[in-house]
Amino acid sequence: MNMAATTEVRERVKLVGLGVPRLDADEKVRGKAEYADDLNIPGAWHGFVVRSPIPHGRIISLTLDPGYDWTKVVVVTPEDIPGNNIVDMMGRDMPFIAHDEIRYLGEPIALVAAPTRKLARESAAHIHADIEELPPLLSLGELVDQYKKDRSSLHELSAQTIRKGDIDRALREADIVIEGEYRAGHQEQLYIEPQGMAAIPGEDGSIFIHGSMQCPYYINPELCETLDLPAEKIRVKQSAVGGAFGGKEEFPTLLAGYCALLAIKCKRPVKIIFDRHQDILYSTKRHPVWTRYRTGLKKDGTINGMKVDFLLDGGAYTTLSPVVMYRGILHSAMGYRCDNVFVDGHVYRTNTFPNGAFRGFGAPQAIWGLESHIDDLAKACGMAPHEFRLKNALKEGDTTPTGGVLRYSVGSQDVLAKTIEKSRFGEKLQNGSRGNPHEKKWYGIGMSFFAHGAGFTGDGEARIKAKVALDLEQNEEGRPVVNVRVSSTEMGQGTFTILPQIVADALSIDLDYVRCPYPDTLYVPDSGPTVASRTAMVVGNTVHGAAKKMKVQLEEYVSNEIMNAGDVYLADGQFRGPYETGRISFHEAGMRYLENNGPMRVYNQFSLPDYIHWNQKTFEGDAYPAYSWGCNVAEVEIDPLTLELNVLKVTATYDIGKVLNPVLAMGQIQGGLVQALGYAVMEKIEIVDGKFDASRMQTYVIPTTLDIPEFDLDFVEFPYEFANPGAKGVGEIPMDGLAPAIANAVEQAAGVRLRELPMIPENLFAALHETETYKI
Amino acid sequence: MNPVSTLKTFEDIDCEFPKSLQSALELMADEKTRGQPLAGGTDLMVQWESGVIPIPDRAISVKNIPELREIRENGSNVIIGGSVTHMELRQSPIVRRWLPSLAEAAATIGGFQIQIMGTIAGNVANASPAADLAPSLLITDGTVLLASVEGEREVKLTELWTGYRKIDRRPEELIVSFNLPKLLDDYFESWRKLGPRKAQAISKVMGSSRGRISNGVVESFKVALGSVAPTAIRFFELEQWITGKPYSKETLQEAEQRSAALINPISDIRSTAEYRKWVSGKLVRCFLENLAGRSNK
Repeated sequence: MNMAATTEVRERVKLVGLGVPRLDADEKVRGKAEYADDLNIPGAWHGFVVRSPIPHGRIISLTLDPGYDWTKVVVVTPEDIPGNNIVDMMGRDMPFIAHDEIRYLGEPIALVAAPTRKLARESAAHIHADIEELPPLLSLGELVDQYKKDRSSLHELSAQTIRKGDIDRALREADIVIEGEYRAGHQEQLYIEPQGMAAIPGEDGSIFIHGSMQCPYYINPELCETLDLPAEKIRVKQSAVGGAFGGKEEFPTLLAGYCALLAIKCKRPVKIIFDRHQDILYSTKRHPVWTRYRTGLKKDGTINGMKVDFLLDGGAYTTLSPVVMYRGILHSAMGYRCDNVFVDGHVYRTNTFPNGAFRGFGAPQAIWGLESHIDDLAKACGMAPHEFRLKNALKEGDTTPTGGVLRYSVGSQDVLAKTIEKSRFGEKLQNGSRGNPHEKKWYGIGMSFFAHGAGFTGDGEARIKAKVALDLEQNEEGRPVVNVRVSSTEMGQGTFTILPQIVADALSIDLDYVRCPYPDTLYVPDSGPTVASRTAMVVGNTVHGAAKKMKVQLEEYVSNEIMNAGDVYLADGQFRGPYETGRISFHEAGMRYLENNGPMRVYNQFSLPDYIHWNQKTFEGDAYPAYSWGCNVAEVEIDPLTLELNVLKVTATYDIGKVLNPVLAMGQIQGGLVQALGYAVMEKIEIVDGKFDASRMQTYVIPTTLDIPEFDLDFVEFPYEFANPGAKGVGEIPMDGLAPAIANAVEQAAGVRLRELPMIPENLFAALHETETYKI
Repeated sequence: MNPVSTLKTFEDIDCEFPKSLQSALELMADEKTRGQPLAGGTDLMVQWESGVIPIPDRAISVKNIPELREIRENGSNVIIGGSVTHMELRQSPIVRRWLPSLAEAAATIGGFQIQIMGTIAGNVANASPAADLAPSLLITDGTVLLASVEGEREVKLTELWTGYRKIDRRPEELIVSFNLPKLLDDYFESWRKLGPRKAQAISKVMGSSRGRISNGVVESFKVALGSVAPTAIRFFELEQWITGKPYSKETLQEAEQRSAALINPISDIRSTAEYRKWVSGKLVRCFLENLAGRSNK
């Protein structure tokens, strides 16, 4: 027996909590990572989508120009679809290719594929649809006007209420009632890599989808009905992804479907790579929102009751809108003690591209209104913004608007106290200019406080039951390696680093031995989609459990087959028996196992604690197993001459549970805050003649490095102990609270409240000129 | 929806690279060899790609013609060749000393990549109302030299822009150089740009001024704004009115109001008509305040 008894064993440093460098950094920095357009697919044709030029109408006929040579290209129309012409998402109301009613400008009316991109585009120009035009509903403004007049005339895609206590009585018995309306428009994800996908048909009638995506297991079942194929004949693999932010959650199913339908008809691989212009025009955006608050207060600042109307512009089809609205209403009155709550949530159809997932998924839309409104409440009862929040903020043991109890891991009070202290909020609040005409620069400070539900909304995690596998295998160099087999994707946020950190710690081995390969449905079980800030908490916990199982199996193997020594345990990369001399490295034991037994696979599945109860019908109970918490303080300066807004500094504290990798987590916070800054003060895109106006990077304006304020950012750790190693989620919460913090700061600086995003100088100009005091 | 015009690609352009101004002008002289004059391409390529203007059959690259690349002093004037880049403008000691607002304006165009490729003639010939160099050129009362094989022609900059995206250039002509009077002693220039963000921004409103305040009296004041009309414009009426006026609160107030009243801007993707009109008056005020502040030193 060849035991490495004499080598010195160094004590292993725990990786969870350490800012280890990203494992995908090397391939990305060296340009080796293969994004969708880098994939070498021999013989692939280029697909192109022929789109409706009008936003609403009825197709009378579709004509292929008889004078054009159609022998060099392939055209797919609804008749060519093997199964049902339905995108199998929520609502089942969206066809892959429109065959009757056109519901948005750009809706597919045919697909073409050709050997070159140029030829595909050229042939598309020879397909003409005769469409009878119908009046379109195009903007949030029209939607809100109609909602206030007669909501029955609108097409409702989804609706849900939250009821707690007796709202009517609470408002009746209040000393003060404060109202407010808030709105925000579309936001584009603007990931670096535009959408791209390829479909490769197999000889056995199967189809292989390979491309840029967040959720391989969305595409797989969503295409079965359309392609008339069983799930096992649809293989989906993620290529390297250059950012997604929700924009590659549900949309890639459409692109995969277009590619697959074309590939099946022309019997060869087909790929579609969007350019930036196509991507902005014809992919999902954040839902525009309108909220209306009516809140009853006691004179001492107690919140008696809160009544909220929450309305989303869903775009032309249902897609994921109901769930976005659910998360929206669940966050629209969240964070404060209040016994009487009524939230009325709706999503309505408009004739615009279906709106979809975007970092925060309804929560930023809700918190924008709520946290603006809270400042008005504080003012109404003569309290400073931070005093009102400290008085009313939820803490451990309190109940949420759905009656869920905050049992554990509640960092609410700590994020508030720390941010207020660090930013010297109370002191600086006195410096607010409030539109003083004698000051050269207007200064203001504002804050926001918020929770973000960790993991899927409502019964999501219970339904999905995230499944993971770990494979002990030999890598291409012949070394033993543990491959983390999850459907969770790396899209820049760090999944492929944090999951190996967790696994390496749980096995007590070096990080060198653990890898996350790109998910491929051929090899990975369904761990759920990479959304909802759920990966670190849910999938992280599930791979942790899997690694513990693998550890036990390996220890048994070494005990029985190598050491014959009773209790063997694996620590610091070494198996040790009960005797001081008996040691074998993980490397060597792994090799031995693989030689004799072949690969080892270990499965695990996520389950929620028993005490989590949720009623999906009435929206009562624990909407989320836990919450991340955050507090933002923004300091702004406004030039009274031009009304240009300069965000000087952002002080923020977050409780995201256990911080698995502080460098990556801080990167998430900083990047998310910059995206939130864009949402708050500059990103503006509207529908003009049925079409997005800012459809290029020339016109869709996002922050540059010069626009980024000074950041003072911190974490407070309240680990979620049920889900070892205790993360709660960091991906979305930085998007949630900056806009209202800035709006509150603007109010302190200029003396007016802005109720619409983005807060551009033109809007401040309009708001100031409605006031009595401000003159040209 | 899928206009056939977009199907042509850049590779389809037949592009000539003449090595001298004379050979470029000869190519331009004949309709058969004439092409779209192309310098850095930073405006043209964006518009070709987006289909705003059709991709041409032929182009004549003027970027590397030596005669078009000089910056030199000529007595009380500065001569700047048409193919001088924004980066060269912002870095040139001559431009920074004698035409400071032109140097400042060049430094706000796009990012480094755009500044290294884009040229002064291109910025002028593209004739966008948002062309950032236009106001700084207008306030100098300088001229532009155009040439064809037939000869040269000098055009006042204040008469060069004839309408939205139009300049007074004949099809066979190329822009050779700009002849710009230097900033005199005791005169000062200002430049300010309002954009949707702090860098890499296309202007909502921007402008330049050149003038002198002496003994509390506005002796000279020239001001031009961009993005507030179909072309960048000089505020001649205001300039006339204010010359000889005492620098006072009242003058500032009236200058602001008169300036706003002079223009009738539009609402578009970058801003609103109301804000542009209002803030134009504020910019003129800001220029006068700057001028007063520096004159007193």
